[in-house]
Amino acid sequence: MNRLTKTLNNLKKNNKKALVAYLVAGDPDLDSTLDLMKIFVEAGVDVIEIGVPFTDPIAEGPIIQRAHDRALDNNISLQKIYEMVKNYRKYDDETPLVLMGYLNTFIFNKKLIEDNQNNVIDSVLVVDIPGELNLKDYGVYNSNINTISLISPTTKKDRVESIAKNSSGFVYYVTLRGVTGASNLDVNEINSNIEEIKKHATVPTLAGFGIKSAEDARLLSDCSDGVIIGSSIVKMIEEESSSKEFDRIGSYISEIKKAIS
Amino acid sequence: MKANNNNLPDKNGFFGEYGGKFVPETLMYALEELETTYEKLKDDAEFKNQFYKDLSEFVGRPSPLYFAERLTNLYGTGSIWLKREDLNHTGAHKINNTIGQILLAKYMGKKRIIAETGAGQHGVATATVAARLGLECHIYMGSEDVQRQSLNVYRIKLLGAQVHAVDSGSATLKDALNEALRDWVTNVDDTYYIIGSVTGPHPYPMIVRDFNSVVGEELITQSKEMFQSMPDAIVACVGGGSNAMGAFYPFIKFNETRLIGVEAGGEGVETGEHAAPLNDGTPGVLHGALSYLMQDEGGQVKGTKSVSAGLDYPGVGPEHSWLKDSGRAEYVAVSDEAALKAFHEVSELEGIIPALETAHAFAYLDTLMKEFDEDANIIVNVSGRGDKDINTVAEIDGIKI
Repeated sequence: MNRLTKTLNNLKKNNKKALVAYLVAGDPDLDSTLDLMKIFVEAGVDVIEIGVPFTDPIAEGPIIQRAHDRALDNNISLQKIYEMVKNYRKYDDETPLVLMGYLNTFIFNKKLIEDNQNNVIDSVLVVDIPGELNLKDYGVYNSNINTISLISPTTKKDRVESIAKNSSGFVYYVTLRGVTGASNLDVNEINSNIEEIKKHATVPTLAGFGIKSAEDARLLSDCSDGVIIGSSIVKMIEEESSSKEFDRIGSYISEIKKAIS
Repeated sequence: MKANNNNLPDKNGFFGEYGGKFVPETLMYALEELETTYEKLKDDAEFKNQFYKDLSEFVGRPSPLYFAERLTNLYGTGSIWLKREDLNHTGAHKINNTIGQILLAKYMGKKRIIAETGAGQHGVATATVAARLGLECHIYMGSEDVQRQSLNVYRIKLLGAQVHAVDSGSATLKDALNEALRDWVTNVDDTYYIIGSVTGPHPYPMIVRDFNSVVGEELITQSKEMFQSMPDAIVACVGGGSNAMGAFYPFIKFNETRLIGVEAGGEGVETGEHAAPLNDGTPGVLHGALSYLMQDEGGQVKGTKSVSAGLDYPGVGPEHSWLKDSGRAEYVAVSDEAALKAFHEVSELEGIIPALETAHAFAYLDTLMKEFDEDANIIVNVSGRGDKDINTVAEIDGIKI
């Protein structure tokens, strides 16, 4: 079974919430990414979302944009990311790994995704396609890779159903109108929208965008199947990009984990 | 030819394989809302009356079709005619589209207007129509363009809009578009995004084309009046491609008229240092649409180079990609050097200082006019005037103003 499906099923069975952590591959370099992934898992992360850098990441706020730029300065390609991930799988063959990025990078590297050598990747999340569609609609298909679709506060009710049904990994509920790392969470709205999604989805619904504190994470995990933390981690990676002392990221993640447990 | 049917885009926003809606989910609703509004209004008599009234009384349309006698004599082959979009209020064709889109914004009850701009002409045109309706207006502009188009930056500010300099990426038009999209994602409920070219997700390429098609529609009438036939060719510069699309679109069905788009060749197409995706790009997705794009082998968008801020863009409107593949339009490129030469030449021969963007279209006459005889009628779309470029050209010529 696909690692993502298996992990999320287990969590659900044990009545636990999923913790998904995001980083950008190659920020500040690929060795650090590998180290950070180990730190994530040790601190309690259930799923790792690996950002694939793109020159024009229109859904990202300034923090993650800068991370994309740092990675691109290192000439990070999807090919190199795959090599790093294969390496990571020597240490950890259980944690689900999700690639998150922009359509152009994936259609340009169609063969990499279709081959998905040794099945190292479990899911692909494409930020800039309508929720009803997935990579298969753009000619990129691998039956072992499942789809994560986004639903946002502005998604109309009639589309929620078809998007929820299109998701085979989990439904990613975008908790705010805005880019990653913004800060205008409306918990009541989030609650009622996730309730609506859950009526249709056959897979778990996770909440992301704008979660900063352990308290945010706790509030949102109450109404969802788990939370996704991105910008606040990437910000710490940025601050430590020269020192490469990432220990406090581990502590931060542990704190979030505790808050949602 | 399929492109002759003029029924594109299809209901999903595709021109053949190009176009579409590739945006974050948060914007899907806004695009649907815009599409519904536009479909409802585009044939509405009252809406059309208001649009044409504004174009006539506020913009000063129709813009003349002018016989360029000395330029014609210079080449000695066909007659060269100039479509004077430079005479429009605010100095370029960009106002045609903003007049139309601000009416949509007003109808939709949006309180806040945003736009991206490269050369600043679309920023000025947007700030102008926003001022007229008293709407809050924010213009995103690459910080490099803020420098080289300082005159337009000040004009935008005078019109009461805020200019946001964008430092990310290459700090040019592409990055201004990224930032405008991010603003829109954040403020989608009360904000209308006036995209300035035939680019972006559906329905924008269609809407911008339709509003700017007033240029081509006038040309049909004016050609009959001035030389009693359809033109043999229409030449227009192509960055995102709105001035070209507006001039070309009504002519797609007239196969006797060659449609020629001129891209920014920068240092020369062969050097890779240019902004000519239709000449030297491959299909890819940027800013919500699939179209020809300058990108590397990993699918990353490449930096561009052009003396003209308005053409300095790695993508192009999807309908141009379709017109290229179908063979209905031809796309060429001229270098910065050739464009600068044409800039001076047209200024001195015709008493018209063209925008640097427009100078690219003029520069191609050097090649094109050899293909015609004396009976031919060639139209150059003078997309804008060159006042905004005086500082850039003076600096290149080593003159301090």
